[in-house]
Amino acid sequence: MNYNLQFGQIAADIPYILSGAWPTLWITFVTFFLASSLGLFVAMARLKGGVVASRLAGLWVTLTTNSPLFVVLFFLFNGLPEWGILLSPIAATLIAFIAISSGYLAEIQRGGIQSVHRAELDAAETLGMSRMQTLRFVITPHVVKTTYPALSNFFIFTMLGTSMASLVGVNELTGRAIEVSSRNFRSIEVFTVVALTYVALSILASISLALAGRIFFRVKARIM
Amino acid sequence: MTENLANLFTFGNMQFLMRGVAMTLLLTLIGCLTGLIGGFLLAYARSSKGNLLAPVRWGAMIFVEVFRRIPFLVTLFLVLYTAQMILPRAPLFWVAVISICLLCSAYMAEIVRAGMESVPTPQIETAEVMNMPRWRITWIIVLPQAWKVILPSAVSYMVMFVKDTALASQAGVFELMFAGKALVNRGLDPLLVFATVLLAYFAISWPLARLGQWLETRLAHRHTEGGIR
Repeated sequence: MNYNLQFGQIAADIPYILSGAWPTLWITFVTFFLASSLGLFVAMARLKGGVVASRLAGLWVTLTTNSPLFVVLFFLFNGLPEWGILLSPIAATLIAFIAISSGYLAEIQRGGIQSVHRAELDAAETLGMSRMQTLRFVITPHVVKTTYPALSNFFIFTMLGTSMASLVGVNELTGRAIEVSSRNFRSIEVFTVVALTYVALSILASISLALAGRIFFRVKARIM
Repeated sequence: MTENLANLFTFGNMQFLMRGVAMTLLLTLIGCLTGLIGGFLLAYARSSKGNLLAPVRWGAMIFVEVFRRIPFLVTLFLVLYTAQMILPRAPLFWVAVISICLLCSAYMAEIVRAGMESVPTPQIETAEVMNMPRWRITWIIVLPQAWKVILPSAVSYMVMFVKDTALASQAGVFELMFAGKALVNRGLDPLLVFATVLLAYFAISWPLARLGQWLETRLAHRHTEGGIR
C-alpha cells in the first residue's frame, strides 16, 4: 500500500472537472423534458388509444423498462454503424436516454391519470365546466400532485444515469474524470471529487424540486 | 447477414454468453441478498431512538443518502481504484460484488424503511408500553407485516440491479455485457451481438418485473381481504 492521497496534484484540474456539470445538467434537462412529452403521448395511447395503439404503447413500455440503458447505448453507438448509421456520441446518448426514460415516465404519468376519479369528472360536469376547464382545473392539478414525487425522483435518477454517456465519449462530469485520471493517474482523488459533485448536485436538485413542488403545486414532498 | 448470423450463433459462442448470463444472475443475487440484510440493518439503525445512538442514526443516514446519490459507474470506479490501492491485484469479481452490495444496501434501506413505516404506529406504541425491547418489536410485530410491502418493491428493484451490473463490464468484470464486448472484439458483427445481449437482458429482467407486479397485486389483495388479524 504505497499510494498516498494527494488532492493537491489535481487542484489545477478541478475547475475543468467541475465544469463538466454543465453537460450533465443539460443532458438531464433535455432528456427529462423530451422523454416526459413522449411518455405522456405513450400513456395517452395506452389509456385512450384503440386496441392497436394501446398494445403498441404497452409493448414500448415493456421493452424500454426491461432493457439496460448501457447496452442500448452500446447498441446505438457501436452496433448501428454496421448498417451505415453513424451517430455522434451526443446523439446516441440522447436517443438512448429519451427512449428508455420515456417508458418509465409513461408508467408514472399513466398512474397519475388513472388516479383521477370518475366522481371528480362528474362533479366538474355538474358544475358546468367545459372540457378545457376540466382539464385545467380538475385533471391537471390532480395528476401533477400525484405524480410530482415520482417525477422528481426520476429526474434525479436521470441525472445519475447520464454518467453512462461518458462511456461513449461524451465529455460530461464522469467523462472528464476518466480523461483527467488517465492523464495524471490520481484516480481515487478525481473520482472522489466527482462523487461528491454528484451528491451535491442531486441534493441541490432534491431541495429545489421539493421547494418548487411546495410553492407551485402544493405538494408536500419529503426532501430526504 | 446470414453469414454473420451463422458466425455468431455457434454452440461455443452461445455457451460463452450463457456463462455471462450466469455471472450477471450471480452478481445480482449476491447484491440483493446482502442488500436486504444491509438495508435492514441500515433502516433499523436509522430508526433507533435516544441521544446515545445519534451517531449511528447519522452514519446510516449519510451512508444511504451518499450511495443513492452517486452514479453506480462512479461507485464502481471508486471501489476499483481503492481496492487496487489496498491490494494491487484485487480480484475484479469481488470489486463488482462490493460495489453492487453498496448500491443494493443503500436502495434496499429505503425500501425496508418504507415497509417498516407502513406498520401502524399504535401497534408499536402498545408494544413499547408493554416494555418490549425494540429488537423484539421489530422481529415479532413490524417485520411480519412489513415484508408484504418490502418484497414486491425489492423484486422490482432487482430489475434495476440486473441492469446496473452491465456496467461492471467497464471495470473488466466478466458478465453478460463483458461477454458481448469480447465477442465484438473477436470480430463478430456488433449489431447482432449487442442485439442478442439486449434480448438476453430482457429475458432476465422481464420475468422479474412481472413477478414484482404479481407480488404487488397479490400481497396487497391478501392484506385487505384478511383485515385485522
